Amino acid sequence: MRKIIQKADENKTEIEFNLPISLKIDRFFSKPVYRKGLDAITIIFFLLVILGPIINIFSTIFLNIPAIRNDVFADELLGNLQWRNILTSLGYSFSIAAIAVGIDIILALPISIILTRYNFRGKKILDALVDLPMAVPTSALGFSVLLFWGIFGIEPGFTLILFGHIVFTFPYIVRNMKIVLEKLDTLYEDAARTLGASGITIFRTITLPMMKQGIIAGAILAFTRSLGETGATLILSGLIETAPIMIVGFRRQLELPSASFLAGILILISLLLLFSIKFLTRKTGLPIKSVWTRLEGFFSHKYFRYFRDIMTLVILFVLILVPAFYVTTQIINEDFIGELFLGQDYKWAYLYVSFMNSIQIGALAVVINIIFGMPFAFIITKRKWGRVITILDTILDIPIAIPSAALGFATFLFWGPAGLNIFQSGFFMILFVHIAFTFPYMVRPIIGVLESSNKGVEEAARTLGASNLTVFRKITLPNIKQGIIAGCIMVFTRSLGETGATIVVMGNIRTVPVLIVDWVEASAFPSAVFASVIVIIFSAFLIFALRIVTKKRGG
Amino acid sequence: MLQKKEVGKIPSIELVDVTKTFNEGNVIAVDSISLQIDEGDYVFLLGPTGCGKTTTLRMIAGLEKPTKGRVLIDGKDIEAIPPEDRDMGFIFQHFEIFDHLTVWENVTFGLEMRGYSDNYIIREAEKALKTVGLLDYADEYPNIFGNPGLQKLGIARAIATGAKILIMDEPLGSLDPKVSSVFRHELRNLIKDLGLTAIHVTHNQEEAMSIADKIIIMRSGKILQMGTPYELYENPNSIFVANFLGETNFLQGFVLKLLENDQMNIWIRLGGPKIICNNFNNRFNLDDNIVISFRFEDVYLFPLNYDFENSPFDWSKIQTFKVILEAARFIGATKRFYLILDNGDSFVSLKPGNFEENFIIREEIIAGINLDDIHVFKTPENLFNELSLT
Repeated sequence: MRKIIQKADENKTEIEFNLPISLKIDRFFSKPVYRKGLDAITIIFFLLVILGPIINIFSTIFLNIPAIRNDVFADELLGNLQWRNILTSLGYSFSIAAIAVGIDIILALPISIILTRYNFRGKKILDALVDLPMAVPTSALGFSVLLFWGIFGIEPGFTLILFGHIVFTFPYIVRNMKIVLEKLDTLYEDAARTLGASGITIFRTITLPMMKQGIIAGAILAFTRSLGETGATLILSGLIETAPIMIVGFRRQLELPSASFLAGILILISLLLLFSIKFLTRKTGLPIKSVWTRLEGFFSHKYFRYFRDIMTLVILFVLILVPAFYVTTQIINEDFIGELFLGQDYKWAYLYVSFMNSIQIGALAVVINIIFGMPFAFIITKRKWGRVITILDTILDIPIAIPSAALGFATFLFWGPAGLNIFQSGFFMILFVHIAFTFPYMVRPIIGVLESSNKGVEEAARTLGASNLTVFRKITLPNIKQGIIAGCIMVFTRSLGETGATIVVMGNIRTVPVLIVDWVEASAFPSAVFASVIVIIFSAFLIFALRIVTKKRGG
Repeated sequence: MLQKKEVGKIPSIELVDVTKTFNEGNVIAVDSISLQIDEGDYVFLLGPTGCGKTTTLRMIAGLEKPTKGRVLIDGKDIEAIPPEDRDMGFIFQHFEIFDHLTVWENVTFGLEMRGYSDNYIIREAEKALKTVGLLDYADEYPNIFGNPGLQKLGIARAIATGAKILIMDEPLGSLDPKVSSVFRHELRNLIKDLGLTAIHVTHNQEEAMSIADKIIIMRSGKILQMGTPYELYENPNSIFVANFLGETNFLQGFVLKLLENDQMNIWIRLGGPKIICNNFNNRFNLDDNIVISFRFEDVYLFPLNYDFENSPFDWSKIQTFKVILEAARFIGATKRFYLILDNGDSFVSLKPGNFEENFIIREEIIAGINLDDIHVFKTPENLFNELSLT
């Protein structure tokens, strides 16, 4: 035995011992100093880009109280008309968001079950179609909805805004429900069935309570998206003004005090909503405890189930899928060649430039968000800072919760001429806003994979002699790759589709969604149709890529 | 290295007053323990779930930092050394195989990290894979393996680096009982062949008893007893250890009379039999409440009419008393007899499966226990707690 030990020793002294340069670099930068430095830079970035504008807007409101009072509450000519308009717009925004989310949930429950529990031909296609509106710029969707319901003579206004909002918020709710349902073990449902519960009773008392978190998460996302949406709303609103549109209007007329006042109100309400929902979710009990065996058993009959499934599919197509993509059928009807390519005003050049702007801004936002989002996700999941982490984790959701037009305006005030005066309206300002509101879309998926990733593997690598950075490079990164790619695609599609935040800070620069709004407002329908179709095809590719990436996880 | 071997006194691994607390001191995982492990020893940390054995292990490997105390390797304090530089092999309960790398890449990972030359890496990795019998699967991804294959890969990965200390956290805990009982002997042979110093954490006492050089029994963050399996089994120093290792009967009683030769007379409670015990470990006083323990297999059984006088065996050290046979169970290799004393207390006798008897259920028979097989403990404040296996 001893001989063997000595032999091993001799062998060790014989062999060369030369650490490759990459491992040396890893070892050098694995020192705690560098980790702390990166943590500090990440948090400073986060505070500056996301919290800075929000804190700034409240201080701006505070400093401009006299101007706001003059403009909003006691105008020489109009009195408090503007204040009454603001209240009306807030009323519209919240009632549209609430009704849209309500309809979404009712429709999404059966759809999410059909998409997770059933097996049928074309399921994947249906699944992709339901997801697709999430990736398409809302202004293109809004335009499509406008064209579709125009057939039935529905004019822009409250109803049409509502229809538009249902279309683009629906995927968020279905997606979150599906995530929960896929994780949910059907054993619970089987157990309930062996105990004699009918289909509806099982759903109401077993499945629904377990889906609660998913439903609430989806509802928050959908509600805030609806509340902050600008692009589609501009196209569908007619004479009605929702709150984000009012901000855009104030900004266009350079009524900065009024704009900051309204943006401040919207941000405040959204934050209150976010925190109260985070607080309340634990306490709500969805199901009613009593069970109506006969009634629920009767309605669980398979004919009722067929009827329900067919009805939901019909509604899904009529209310959401067909309106969302109706615009693609118009490409044959409209003479886009004449207007877009042969017109005197070089519309195709505008389209090309704005398309390039969209892609560049999206790509740069992705890159910068990876650089800061990955360390941030690590901070949230790995550092043991107790309450600080809880706070950072909550603040992280703020850009999702507050309307992007308001966030855009706040960023404009903070970085622009009125604030730090570092950026003028234009490309970099747009980029900055897009980085701010897409940041959580990058960080959340990475946190998700980090939390579900196996920490034991990392420890194993360390006991084998890998330094912190080597572990990250060789073990952690390959495991969380899919989360990062998913985050990148989410950020890119959100950036590509954004209208409100862009309009507020764009100056002379145009992105595709804004261009579509411009052309619809200018009644250049053929060009708008062409731009929308291009963007829809592009988004479909992105969603397709996202699905391939996320699917690989299982295998 | 040679010098140390000649001196032969510096233990390979030493823990001095090591304490580990979690949650800002609210949870004490390891409570001021000290232990020494000699080079080439295969030592088990044995204890119920949550006793601090895994935390102790992780502190040795550097995956946790001790709150207090020192960890010494070959006599040197290694507090400042990060886990990657401690040069120990670690085997995990859940294998922690890199499933995005092939079998070969898994095994060479540690060698690459040390910057060895390609020739050396190939030689050592092949050797390690051959040792566990996975050389044919070198180019596969680990997802083709079941749990035993994964753990073999885990072992190959840990030993390939040439580390002389092997640390194992429930290495057989994720395997089926049958597989694990075969596998553990292979594991011991491998460790002995390589001449490694090994620490093995488990809550499975059978596993520890069958392959350990030494066993350290832990409970609630403290070390209760350490020694060879034989020492611990024959001379447990506490009710918990007696109960945790093997199958043991416990009866309550009190000291009736102190005799000469360090012996004493004990009366089992509520009118049970009076028996004589040796008084080795503790000093007892008259009327002390005590608990006696004796192993299942140490209970002899005789028919009522057994003729002790003319028996070919010497029964002089055996104390006998009448019991009622409540039930008998045949379990393959063994038979169990459930016995009841006059006072209602019950205990068990374990016999080989081929033990011949014609006892009748619910009839009286005679039970006997050798004087030397009985251990006496003071009755603790909370006997129930001592007898629980956690």
